[in-house]
Amino acid sequence: MEMKKWLEKAAQSILDQDEESAREIAKKSLEDDMDPVEMINDGFAAGIRKMGDLFDRGEVFLPGLIIASDAMAAAVKILEEALPQDRRQEKLGIIVIGTVEGDIHDIGKGIMVTLLRVHGYEVHDLGRDVPIEEFVKKAQEVNADVIGSSAMMTTTQIGQKKLEEALKKAGLRAKVKTMVGGAVATDHWAKRIGADFFGETPADTIDKLRRILN
Amino acid sequence: MEKIMTRMGDGFPVEMSESEIRSDLAAGTEDAADRGKIAPLSKEELQYLYDLFASPYRFVSVEPGNEIVLSYDGGALKIVRAAVNVDRVQAMQIHEKILGADTIELGHVDYSFKPVKPIVGTEQTALEQTLMVTHAPLFYGAMPNLGLYSQPDGPHPNPLDLLPLGKIDEARESYEMSVEDAVKDIVFVASAMYDSGADGINMDTTGAAGDPDFLAGLKAAEILKEKYPDICIELGMAGEFILGLHGELDYHGDRLAGMYPQDQVKMAEKAGFTIFGPVVNIKTSRSVPWNLSRAITFTKACCEVANIPIHANMGMGVGGVPMTPHPPLDIVSRASKAMVEICRLDGL
Repeated sequence: MEMKKWLEKAAQSILDQDEESAREIAKKSLEDDMDPVEMINDGFAAGIRKMGDLFDRGEVFLPGLIIASDAMAAAVKILEEALPQDRRQEKLGIIVIGTVEGDIHDIGKGIMVTLLRVHGYEVHDLGRDVPIEEFVKKAQEVNADVIGSSAMMTTTQIGQKKLEEALKKAGLRAKVKTMVGGAVATDHWAKRIGADFFGETPADTIDKLRRILN
Repeated sequence: MEKIMTRMGDGFPVEMSESEIRSDLAAGTEDAADRGKIAPLSKEELQYLYDLFASPYRFVSVEPGNEIVLSYDGGALKIVRAAVNVDRVQAMQIHEKILGADTIELGHVDYSFKPVKPIVGTEQTALEQTLMVTHAPLFYGAMPNLGLYSQPDGPHPNPLDLLPLGKIDEARESYEMSVEDAVKDIVFVASAMYDSGADGINMDTTGAAGDPDFLAGLKAAEILKEKYPDICIELGMAGEFILGLHGELDYHGDRLAGMYPQDQVKMAEKAGFTIFGPVVNIKTSRSVPWNLSRAITFTKACCEVANIPIHANMGMGVGGVPMTPHPPLDIVSRASKAMVEICRLDGL
């Protein structure tokens, strides 16, 4: 079977949330001498990206995303075992995320955390009502690539600005990218406080993250 | 070519050419039609919207005789938020006597049914005081706010902690237990306030915690309607579609997750709601013409199938109105006029 067909089948197994099928496709594609890296990036990962888009449209639900993510992890494990160490993919990035101090809104941030993990990021979720110093401390501890802060209210939004200042003070700002989210955040707000980007929806955030970390 | 001043979804002014505005209007309605699987706006409706944006006037309005009901949710909280020192009763009077509200809404600062339960006596007193100095129909409003029923705010395990661990059944069970608890609290508080003289109950921001949140609202309304056949209950939504956090909850056989306004309103009718308030979210990185065209498309489809009055949510970040603490008049008036004249709304 040609590569294009294998890629389609891989993506479809993720969309079907079918772990058994994903494993089978991974194994058989290797037997058919397909490139494991291409199978991961353009097959299984393409399927998970499509799942994220469908979630954004209300056509796929959170439990389905988790099942699809497990299916992808199972397939990727098989494909990675076939790769020499130097071709194995590193983590996409390490992310520290939380809702800023004074703000107890957790649901949107929780969904974002799930989506980031589904897409292969290592995520350290600090929860909600998180003091600024905890973002900084955790970022140093795990050597974070990105710090994400969520704010749902105009009254707590200022925490995102304070985070930028705290990162500069700690000498960390040049080493990490920052993203802001939440109902009241906007592109202009991100620019105004010096954040690297604003994630408007889960799909938008994943897309911008991929570009900024590349 | 002359540029037209309009705004982005975050409220920032932007100048656009005629072709840019027409292009965004077309793209906005297509996006809504695609997502909601509904009809896009007609050429005439898009032309109407273009003329509205091209109008040189700072603000616009409907023609005399086409005015509709103007209601406010969270009214008790918003005057204070603007740093005007009035209490809740005075805020109600300001809405009725100065802002021209046709209905007013009393609510607690926590604005959720659960925290009101232990202080319902205080709320009944505030309601009585408000009723004595106002004439407009008075709603008592709060949110189902299902987030308050899982840890750390409530007794049940937090589903958003369980889901990433793959504990899907446990997460779903937690949501289901939260729904039952929320229904009891909503019915308790709504009954107490209705018994004390409230003209209606507003379940606001319903669906904020996804399909379980929406289900809690529907179940509570069903009980309230059976208990008080004449009660007026308004359902204010939280977003344009129901987030599937549980994913398998249904209401009389219809799966709730993923429902858009035209389906949400049918559930509201079935549960016994008297008024439905659809919400269409704004995309701050897109222009207002794109956002308003999109919001009108969703709302129109909802109005076309509704058998109960539709009072669309129009405000910060919803209904085509920019996401900014003080929504600008030029856009609020354009969005309101378009909603009334294209969608044939019953209220704002």
